[in-house]
Amino acid sequence: MPDSSKDINGVVPSIRHAGDAVVATLRGEIDLHNSPNVRNALLKFLDENKPKKLVLNLAAVPYMDSSAIAVLVEALQRMRKTGGKIYLTNLQPRVKGLLEIARLDSIFIVVPTEEDALK
Amino acid sequence: MTPANTTTPPRRLELTVTSAPSNLATVRKAIESFADANRFDTKGVAEIGLCVNEAIANIIRHAYRGNENRPVHVTAQMEDRDGGRIVITLRDWGVGIDPNSLPRRAYDPLEPGGVGLICLQQWMDTVTYTPQADGGMLTTMTRRRMRR
Repeated sequence: MPDSSKDINGVVPSIRHAGDAVVATLRGEIDLHNSPNVRNALLKFLDENKPKKLVLNLAAVPYMDSSAIAVLVEALQRMRKTGGKIYLTNLQPRVKGLLEIARLDSIFIVVPTEEDALK
Repeated sequence: MTPANTTTPPRRLELTVTSAPSNLATVRKAIESFADANRFDTKGVAEIGLCVNEAIANIIRHAYRGNENRPVHVTAQMEDRDGGRIVITLRDWGVGIDPNSLPRRAYDPLEPGGVGLICLQQWMDTVTYTPQADGGMLTTMTRRRMRR
């Protein structure tokens, strides 16, 4: 069984706990090729840990497509069921542009840095 | 020796890949390099790249229903009209369904699907789907270099 704390295929989050929050760092470009791996690891982690606050640091994600957006939305829906919140930090320009056109920039909590999310 | 900054950019790009999702990045980057060489700005290059990604992902998911070994033929061409525009074609040999013929629902950011379509609608000037006599579809997208 895959360990959700391990990096899989170079993209799936490395995850650490910070108080009642969990910080997941995604890495690399995410498209239909690797978004299923991100989805599996992220949702598995959420189901097993049910964190109150999930912080996704996207500093090292220069690009994502709609399949990656769908993963974020699914994670958001999963978190909402348990009363949790998702923070997106360190958005790169292309990712920010996609979130805006998808009208998700006001649905996720978007903050500049990890530290802002953990305040 | 010709200085690099006076090199004439390529006017046409053509490539054929299989319908494997692992090829998405290859095609996107080739199109982005082509648009960049033809003086689209950074935002334009990024938006064109994502639109190509989304259109090919639709072919993989819907036209080829996930089969990763079918062909996708991609061309990009620069035309002088409208102050310079890129014309991108994607040819598939899939089920031949025109996405415009499918029922539309209002876009809900919290429901799956629809983001790729919005990108194509907003970031390209035109998108047309032409059924082909031998099956499949020709998707044609255009975007001017200078948009208002």
